Amino acid sequence: MSSELPATFRLFKPYIPVKLLIVEDEPALRSSLVEYLRQDGYVVEAAVSYGQAHEKIKLYQYDCVLLDLTLPDGNGLDVLRTLKADNSAAGVLIISARGALDDKVLGLELGADDYLAKPFHLSELSARLKAIIRRRQFQGQRQLLFQELTVLPDQAQVLVHGEPVILTRKEYDLLLYLLTHPGRVLTKESIAEHVWGDAADAADSFDFLYTHLKNLRRKLQEKGAADYIRSVYGVGYKFSAE
Amino acid sequence: MKLLAATNRYYVLLAGLLFSLGSGLLYVGVLWALQGEVEERLFQQRDYLRREVQRTGQLPGTPFEGRMQLSTTPQPEVLRDVLLLEPLENELEPYRQLTFRLQLNGQTQWVSLSKSLLETADVRRLIMWLLLGVLGALLLSMVLLNRWLARRLWAPFEHTLHQLRGYDVRQHQVLQLPPTRIEEFTQLNHTLTHLSERVAADYAMLKEFTENAAHETRTPLAIMQAKLEQLLQLPDLPAPAGPLVADLYAAVQRLARLHQGLTLLSKIENQQFAAAVPVSLAELLREKLRQLEGFIEDKQLRLEVSLTTAGTLPLHPALADSLVSNLLHNAIRHNQPGGLLRVQLSATELAITNTGPALVLTQNPEQFFERFRKQNAASDSPGLGLSIVQSIATFYGFEVRYEHDAEQALHTLRVVF
Repeated sequence: MSSELPATFRLFKPYIPVKLLIVEDEPALRSSLVEYLRQDGYVVEAAVSYGQAHEKIKLYQYDCVLLDLTLPDGNGLDVLRTLKADNSAAGVLIISARGALDDKVLGLELGADDYLAKPFHLSELSARLKAIIRRRQFQGQRQLLFQELTVLPDQAQVLVHGEPVILTRKEYDLLLYLLTHPGRVLTKESIAEHVWGDAADAADSFDFLYTHLKNLRRKLQEKGAADYIRSVYGVGYKFSAE
Repeated sequence: MKLLAATNRYYVLLAGLLFSLGSGLLYVGVLWALQGEVEERLFQQRDYLRREVQRTGQLPGTPFEGRMQLSTTPQPEVLRDVLLLEPLENELEPYRQLTFRLQLNGQTQWVSLSKSLLETADVRRLIMWLLLGVLGALLLSMVLLNRWLARRLWAPFEHTLHQLRGYDVRQHQVLQLPPTRIEEFTQLNHTLTHLSERVAADYAMLKEFTENAAHETRTPLAIMQAKLEQLLQLPDLPAPAGPLVADLYAAVQRLARLHQGLTLLSKIENQQFAAAVPVSLAELLREKLRQLEGFIEDKQLRLEVSLTTAGTLPLHPALADSLVSNLLHNAIRHNQPGGLLRVQLSATELAITNTGPALVLTQNPEQFFERFRKQNAASDSPGLGLSIVQSIATFYGFEVRYEHDAEQALHTLRVVF
């Protein structure tokens, strides 16, 4: 089985199937989310309405729920309330189109783990999801492995062949983002937004990204790691062993 | 000018005009009557003299009150005004004089009878004072009456005005205006109440619309972005398609950011950021500068920071964040490699200076803050940053000034609290 396992999931040790519930009423977006996350190796179920979501969370256990707040027959926050009332162990990531500050504050107060406003990068969503699952499920043994690279998110430490590499905060964030999306094409926009947030606005081009990646590559290679950061012409970057 | 003062002015003008006209007529009339009286007496005296001369052949012994002069030199027979010397007071006084011919002892004599007009002048003066007095009393009472009316009749109007001044559509309230005794004011209050109901409803609708519009456009944007990202992941995507999809992806990103900016602007303009907490701009600036460290170093900017106040301002945290970020991002993005970035915060203003080439539109600093105004059309930024800065500043009653120092190629944006 492990040979068929998507690349991402070889990162986590041991492998436990992660079950997701996607609550999203918009069919086109729902299908993208389902497909993208299935490719990431999750076991994905979808609910198209508040009623359906409510039924599913009452019947089944999920590791994480992706929750759209605006549903045709109810408020997504009520799904969150039900989960919390049932003392569910599921993590909750809110994806909202409302983008109102109040929603975010309220959602997080009600116990959501994270909040993402539409539109978002799928890769960003996936990174946040992984962060939630890492925090919740792999307590005590959290580490990411990729060939000779090991990342210990708790200590923010990177090892090559077991030897620590000294990275700046941004280089570390970059590596972690790339490493959690092996084989995926990551756009420059999504990388910049994930690592630098709004501050990326201060730059007039994505050249800074190139500079930081160059430094990261150099530091990893100095410790004897192979170069896994490939640039995809005109698009962005990809972290891949092939 | 107050409405009452304005109407008052017309009343006073009209009253003054009518009164002066009436007084003039009265004055002339009285004068005319008095003079007629004097002339009547003169004629009576002439007739009496003539009769006496005819009967007795000589002038009567008892002289008249007034004066009589006899002369043998021919004189015109007229009635006229003359000034004669009053022997007692030794001054000239006005007289009415009648001259006529008289046959006395076979000789033709010219008799001049004069009668003082001094009494007439006294009466005239009396009339004038009386009229002036009445006019003054009339005007004074009119002013007093109006002042009293202003306080009494206009009280409900003042009340309405006071209510309107305190009206705030954000609180979703409807004006409560009581009916008054005056029909016009009752109508006004009724109309205003109705208007405020409509405004409150429209405002609620506008708010809902903004939120819905934001929601409705965000979802298709999210779909586009997700589909494009999936497209990029396809293993057999032809190599030349990559940059095309990436450009499309970047365009969607721009649209998303534009949307975000416009939503923020409309929210600020709809005053949906009423909540305020004390925000320390110095702290916020320090935090932002720390986040931007990398970009400042990349451009090798000379950073000069002077934060001379630790005070706080009552701001909405999201707006404070947006204000500071937009100013700093702008100053870094448009800076030149090795340029200057100066951040100065005092109790009264925040000034951010950066080096940069002269702007084409330096002539007209107003344009600087226009939406979508970009120095460089190829730039990725939606060109809303400074509009947002100005909008936030206006919302809090701050003033934003742009200054350009051509000699040192320095641009300064100053937010005066």
